[in-house]
Amino acid sequence: MKSVCGCHIEARFVNITHNHNSNTHRLRNTCKHNWGRSVPLASSSTGGTAHTAGGSEQNCYRVEMSLAYLRLCTQHRLALGARGYATHTSDRRSREQKDEGPVFQYVGKQSKPNHKVFVWGFSYTGALGIPSFVVPDSGRKKPRKYQLTPYRLETEQQISSAACGYGFTLLSSSTKDLTKVWGMGLNRDSQLGFQRTQQDRYKSYDYVLEPSPVPLPLARPQQTRVLQVACGRAHSLVLTDSEGVFSLGNNAYGQCGRKMVEDEVYSASHIIHKMEGFDSPVTQVVCGQDHSLFLTETGKVYACGWGADGQTGLGHHNMCARPVAVGGDLAGVRVQQVTTYGDCSMAVSQDGQLYGWGNSEYLQLSSVTEATQINSPRLLPFEGVGKVTQVACGGTQVAILNERGKVFVWGYGILGKGPNLSESQTPELVPPTLFGRSEFNPAVTVSRIHCGLNHFAAVTDRGELFVWGKNVRGCLGIGKKEDQYFPWRVTVPGHVVDVACGVDHMVALVKSVI
Amino acid sequence: MARPSVRVFHKLEGLFSIYKPPGVHWKLVRDTIETNLLKGINAAPPPAPRQRVQFLAESTSVVAEGSNELTLSAASVPALAHHPLGEALHIHIGVGVGHRLDVFSSGVLVLGVGQSNKALTDLYRSHVTRDYTLEGELGMATDNFSHTGRLIERTTYDHITRDKLERVLAMMQGSNQKALLTYSKVDMSTQGAYELAVKGELRPDGKSPPIMTGLRLLHFQPPHFTLEVQCLNETQRYLCRILHEVGLELRSTAVCKGVRRTRDGPFTIQHALTHQHWTSPDVIQAIRQYRSSRKASKAKHTQPGKDTGTASQRQEMAEEAAVTGDSHRLHSVLTSKAFGS
Repeated sequence: MKSVCGCHIEARFVNITHNHNSNTHRLRNTCKHNWGRSVPLASSSTGGTAHTAGGSEQNCYRVEMSLAYLRLCTQHRLALGARGYATHTSDRRSREQKDEGPVFQYVGKQSKPNHKVFVWGFSYTGALGIPSFVVPDSGRKKPRKYQLTPYRLETEQQISSAACGYGFTLLSSSTKDLTKVWGMGLNRDSQLGFQRTQQDRYKSYDYVLEPSPVPLPLARPQQTRVLQVACGRAHSLVLTDSEGVFSLGNNAYGQCGRKMVEDEVYSASHIIHKMEGFDSPVTQVVCGQDHSLFLTETGKVYACGWGADGQTGLGHHNMCARPVAVGGDLAGVRVQQVTTYGDCSMAVSQDGQLYGWGNSEYLQLSSVTEATQINSPRLLPFEGVGKVTQVACGGTQVAILNERGKVFVWGYGILGKGPNLSESQTPELVPPTLFGRSEFNPAVTVSRIHCGLNHFAAVTDRGELFVWGKNVRGCLGIGKKEDQYFPWRVTVPGHVVDVACGVDHMVALVKSVI
Repeated sequence: MARPSVRVFHKLEGLFSIYKPPGVHWKLVRDTIETNLLKGINAAPPPAPRQRVQFLAESTSVVAEGSNELTLSAASVPALAHHPLGEALHIHIGVGVGHRLDVFSSGVLVLGVGQSNKALTDLYRSHVTRDYTLEGELGMATDNFSHTGRLIERTTYDHITRDKLERVLAMMQGSNQKALLTYSKVDMSTQGAYELAVKGELRPDGKSPPIMTGLRLLHFQPPHFTLEVQCLNETQRYLCRILHEVGLELRSTAVCKGVRRTRDGPFTIQHALTHQHWTSPDVIQAIRQYRSSRKASKAKHTQPGKDTGTASQRQEMAEEAAVTGDSHRLHSVLTSKAFGS
């Protein structure tokens, strides 16, 4: 309710103007502004008629002002009368109600958001970590083969890193407790470590249905923190902050970085190898299908494992059983990120250049070579993509993210630009409007991209998750089994922080909004 | 030769928008406008009195003695049949209302007169979006989601910051945008669906629940905040409920203090007539203005070679066709093959 002088006076003021004969001095008590000063109104004035006061000109002026104000009062009253109901009584009632009754507090001022884990995809391998999907609790329920929408996985600790392999998952927490890494899913090659069975202490479970602790042989278990985990086809890598990299699982091609043993039985194996041979502490580990890549602090890339497609980048097509530094175009280059998931490997340098090596049957590296494999890293010069900040490699497709938050895709398969684009040699921009950018939100950008074997995942800075690609056994999480030809939102209750993509399942690390 | 009142009647064919104040039932507003329009018609000057020729017999004193002829003289005499004092004109004006506003809300209300009422239904069937400004207050929950209802619960809100509110709004907007795509009933595995999604033109076809196409925080000063919403297929009660849900997502409560519609399809608040201007000459002026603006944009759209396949242009054409009363063309527009099928 605005008064003539423009200051805000409460609804109480409206009551006063009803009997507009009232003295203006009451108005002066409520209104701090110096309006309508000292002349008291002549009491016989009614209805705002012009009433000349005798006396000096000064007085005339003041009376005119107060009379003008009176006319305004009556206008207000008329305006009230035209309404269907009068507002002031209900305001009074709600104010009375406001003052009584308890006030509930659901969340304190210093509340922090909760961190949760969501999983979806194919569940029969146990990779989702929910045993009731595979072995139902009660006889009435049926096993759930595909979980087509995100499902909450309860974890004991806050999970900081997750990785999806081919039918199994590793979750790790940056805690100082004794249990830092949990694994679930396929364990035929002990990629989740030795999981002792209940009946026989020499046997290990082949399928782990629930997140179970992975027994890492740490020298200082109460001080070391696990930074990151990575999973390949049948092996996994665990990166710690002070004790280096641990590898577990299949070593038939040397992907675990230790000497290959002939006829080694990997099932029920207790071997978890602490890797050596790096010049500086390792900052990132990635697993390809049967090879491993390591990025050290100095920006050097190391590789070991299967090299028939040249995915190790060591200049030959043989296997390698210990981590060796990668040369080629990467010699002397400071790398900031490496990626691989199938048989093609890529790296991004600190100054935004992209390097690739390995399999090129699906046009991943066809911009620089006609050959189907490269066994040494080559620079991939693309114009128009800007400075590259992240790269993600799948089985047949590649995606890069530049510093402006734009996503470019190329390779073979469902690339994200409709069913008509199924292969491309050069990067194609995915239109930012598909990630939620509109005239209402012009500044939405993508902050992370990941690739599974046949699909893509992008996380925007607003915490939304977009997926597209082949929907292998429901791995996209969009509620249906059909393939998705352009980026589609996944409904996750919260703010998505990070996501890990596998062959047929995905894991999302989510933060609550409040 | 039409009478002035009939001329006024013809000028009143069309759509116009008014600003409905809060606290008034929409029917009261419509009745007031109808009364004012009828007053305007009646206030038109009466037609000039019609004369007719009547043959009057000569008075007998003039007739010569012994003559058997009946002499007549022509005289122009006022016709009394259509004398304004003797005649009652029963004019029926049909004033129709577009998307209604409930008692609590205010803002743009579209009315149509005469034949244009048919255009109103067509206009609203073509899924127009509407803009609202919602004012909310944190810390209270009532039974009808607005501040006039019975208080149910009071909660604290000191943990709410602008950043958290924007995150909640982003989440709601994301789910609404997904609903837009889901209810568009387009086959997502076609290239056409991808093209429409890129342009942002995937719209629900046929029935859909209320969907917000845009949501933005305008002003935040706890406990008061203001949202700007662009939505389709909504009711004002639904918008109050949205505010309530925003409060719940923030682990607190919120009520709606005001709903104000700033745009209804092509009608914006700048051209809406306020209370003082609900008279016949102002309404005629508004209708004329609207007709000329639609003619200008129709001329722009029906240029040869322009692609009229996109949904938004089709929607605009539907609105124009509706307004100019060309229901036939509208029918063809609405039933044309759409969305790359």
